[in-house]
Amino acid sequence: MLYREAGQFKASYRADQAIFPIAQDRFVAMALLVIAFLVVPFVATEYTYRAVLIPTVILSLAAIGLNVLMGYCGQVSLGSGAFMGVGAYAAYNLAVRLPFLNPFVCVLLGGFVAAAIGIVFGIPSLRIKGFYLACATLAAQFFGDWAFLRIKWITNDTPSGSVNAPPLQLFGLDLSSPTANYLVSLVFAVVLGLGAKNIVRGHIGRQWMAIRDMDIAAEIIGVLPMYAKLSAFAVSSFLIGVAGALWAFVYLGSWEPAAFDIDRSFELMFMVIIGGLGSILGSALGAIFIVLMPIFLNQALPPLGDVVGWKISTATVSHFESMIFGALIVFFLVVEPHGLARLWLTGKEKLRLWPFPH
Amino acid sequence: MGFFLEVLIGGLLAGVLYSLVALGFVLIFKASGVFNFAQGAMVLAAALALVRALDVMEQWHWPFTLALAGAFAFAAVVMAIVAWAAERLVLRKLVNQEGIILFMATIGVTFFIEGLAQSVFGADVYPLNIGLPKDPLFILESVFDGGILVNELDIWAAVIAGLLVTGLALFFQRTRIGRALRAVADDHAAAQSVGIPLDQIWFIVWLVAGLVALVAGAVWGSKLGVQFSLSLLALKALPVLILGGFTSVPGAIIGGLIIGAGEKLAEVFLGPSMGGGIEIWFAYVVALLFLLVRPQGLFGERIIERV
Amino acid sequence: MPGRIRSFTEALLSVENVSLTFGGINALTDISFDIKKGEIRAIIGPNGAGKSSMLNCINGFYHPQRGSITYKGVQRARMRPHEAAEQGIARTFQNIALFRGMSTLDNIMTGRNLRMRTGLFWQALRIGRAEREEIDHRIVVERIIDFLEIQHVRKVPVGQLPYGLQKRVELGRALAAEPDLLLLDEPMAGMNLEEKQDMCRFVLDVNDEFGTTICLIEHDMGVVMDISDRVVVLDYGKKIGDGMPDEIKANQAVIDAYLGVGH
Repeated sequence: MLYREAGQFKASYRADQAIFPIAQDRFVAMALLVIAFLVVPFVATEYTYRAVLIPTVILSLAAIGLNVLMGYCGQVSLGSGAFMGVGAYAAYNLAVRLPFLNPFVCVLLGGFVAAAIGIVFGIPSLRIKGFYLACATLAAQFFGDWAFLRIKWITNDTPSGSVNAPPLQLFGLDLSSPTANYLVSLVFAVVLGLGAKNIVRGHIGRQWMAIRDMDIAAEIIGVLPMYAKLSAFAVSSFLIGVAGALWAFVYLGSWEPAAFDIDRSFELMFMVIIGGLGSILGSALGAIFIVLMPIFLNQALPPLGDVVGWKISTATVSHFESMIFGALIVFFLVVEPHGLARLWLTGKEKLRLWPFPH
Repeated sequence: MGFFLEVLIGGLLAGVLYSLVALGFVLIFKASGVFNFAQGAMVLAAALALVRALDVMEQWHWPFTLALAGAFAFAAVVMAIVAWAAERLVLRKLVNQEGIILFMATIGVTFFIEGLAQSVFGADVYPLNIGLPKDPLFILESVFDGGILVNELDIWAAVIAGLLVTGLALFFQRTRIGRALRAVADDHAAAQSVGIPLDQIWFIVWLVAGLVALVAGAVWGSKLGVQFSLSLLALKALPVLILGGFTSVPGAIIGGLIIGAGEKLAEVFLGPSMGGGIEIWFAYVVALLFLLVRPQGLFGERIIERV
Repeated sequence: MPGRIRSFTEALLSVENVSLTFGGINALTDISFDIKKGEIRAIIGPNGAGKSSMLNCINGFYHPQRGSITYKGVQRARMRPHEAAEQGIARTFQNIALFRGMSTLDNIMTGRNLRMRTGLFWQALRIGRAEREEIDHRIVVERIIDFLEIQHVRKVPVGQLPYGLQKRVELGRALAAEPDLLLLDEPMAGMNLEEKQDMCRFVLDVNDEFGTTICLIEHDMGVVMDISDRVVVLDYGKKIGDGMPDEIKANQAVIDAYLGVGH
């Protein structure tokens, strides 16, 4: 009853092709934006910012980046952690060596550096695919781990192995408070996410999906596999690089190479699979899920354990986390390969019919 | 020269250990076309089961050989359960999906097994003694001044690996089940249509891979102690497989030797000029170069795509 | 329409002494024929005769070891499929090569790929040029959707469509490229009588309205005799017949190899 499209006729292709063609969806999206930008800053505590909001926003952006590569273009990547690192260290180097640049400009430029490196590491995808490509991206990941640690000029010869972000400001306005951190990350995520959504529903996005679905046949519509695959790597690495720079500058403040290791790559991959391959919304849902799940388990499991007389330590909780993530991956791949995003769409379909069963 | 040989032999012997893990991958890939990322987690789970069972049996004051046999039996049963669960809950549901979906499913299985094994058996570092001598040996003292240092454990590992490979090769070539496994690897649907029971075959394959993981876990655990990093061996086995070919048992051995030796030599002779620590990526970059030049590896089958 | 005789003068594509081998197998041996501009050319023959391989050569998937192919007056060197697409060759496949993750509309839109030129940056903004281009091409694609009568499934993912509709969508994608030469590999395979009649109508309409040259592989002799202007017959990789449908029907070699009596 609430979700009927009745009466919503599209009089132009432009209206039909809009991101949210159904009025109710537009309303919800607008409402969410309003809440995110205007309501949350008055309601959230510092803990919520640091533990939930900021990580979710930044990692959503990274997940969108990985989804572009894996979900839309079908190229496996286990090296996304290293690309976050490339963005972070590139931004750091620019900030330290060219101090007149605003830190956020450095973040964007860090993204471009990551895009360039992404193109280089994407070259193997022209010859290999599937888990062979996964191995090539692992090479990028481990090489990145080593480079961030051992190549001295990347870390500006820091003796301790960890580097610090420059103070965050824009036109003299100090942006180091949690609220400011959150809003800045949100702006980046929303603007770049919207750009990504526009790209994937345009002709380049269709080229990527053609490569994903049947790359041999994609050539017959004139797709140049090299251009399509490398552009996917470029756009994906840009988004992941920006997210990495934001992660380092805004969330961590000071970091070591371990922040961008293979565990991060797996984390992003889980977000994309659980959230839904080939869905921008799914990337965000996946990020929310992966960020919230450990918090939820940490709160919920020890009391549950107390009920049955079993003392659950934090180590055990993290083992349970592994088990639950592992089981969820298998569950989603078996039951709903299109992840939470498809569940969301199915839910909306049911809502269209509500209160009728069919 | 003596030093070079020492590093080389050390590397080769380390490579044998990689091969042991890679063998498990090859088995499963040969028989079901699935790249089992969880092999490393299986090594960890098997080793944990083994070492804890051994501890328990020593607490019960069983004589060593009996305790060892009992612990191995226990660990084998655990791996059988893993094999059964993997086939029933994961593989059966994903029969017709493409390789990449199955691969991601095995990543999920990896995390699950790691979490489960560590919560059930514990997450510390456990030293493991299965009766293999761990003393350093000096060999070829007549040829080289002072002799070349090798570890006796590594030599035993090489012997065990050799026996395992021979056994597996015979198994595949000579037995009826071996033939059935090769049929399944070629074409699931066709194999089913000639009456080969897919689910039984897959259970057997994962069980054998689990037992291989157990041997690998026992040997590696003796060398390094049983700890979480054993599961990262899965990642190291990837370059081995790419070099050797995903479907080749001898390829897993040769690939392991090349990677093991190459890594150590690169670290010792190339490393210092690059800041050290290049071991973590050397194998991968070699594999990457191989992928660009000869994707099927040294012994694997050519991959042909048709429209 | 038996008995329709049309004559054409200019050769759009000519195949000269093409031979193709895979390992030890001779897929095509010394094949020569031409396709005249505006005609409907059929390639027939038993299974394994090399018909699909011939299309794959024209299309750039396979590269003949000997012989040459001349297209639009230019003898071509080895060509990749996307170059063939750029030169105005479109095709459908025996086993349907649609992009299963995308909807009907998106699949046909991919056929417009070569004509969509806006860069990455403008697409990200989706204003002005990018938006207009999407809409302009959408208009063309909708016309094709109307023509093929698949409006009711335009937003459905093609993986969910029945076989006959998938074949139509694949034809739509090929048409969207506005090709000069359309290669159809068994477009009627697996269809019932009604679907075949629809498909025939589409093929004839495309040829009539747009003057598209069509080369199709087909097993249904009724269809071949009715709609094609000339026929090439292949058997074991060799050409055993080339001419008008009536001549082919009477050709003894063709009857022995493929048709049998009673056609």
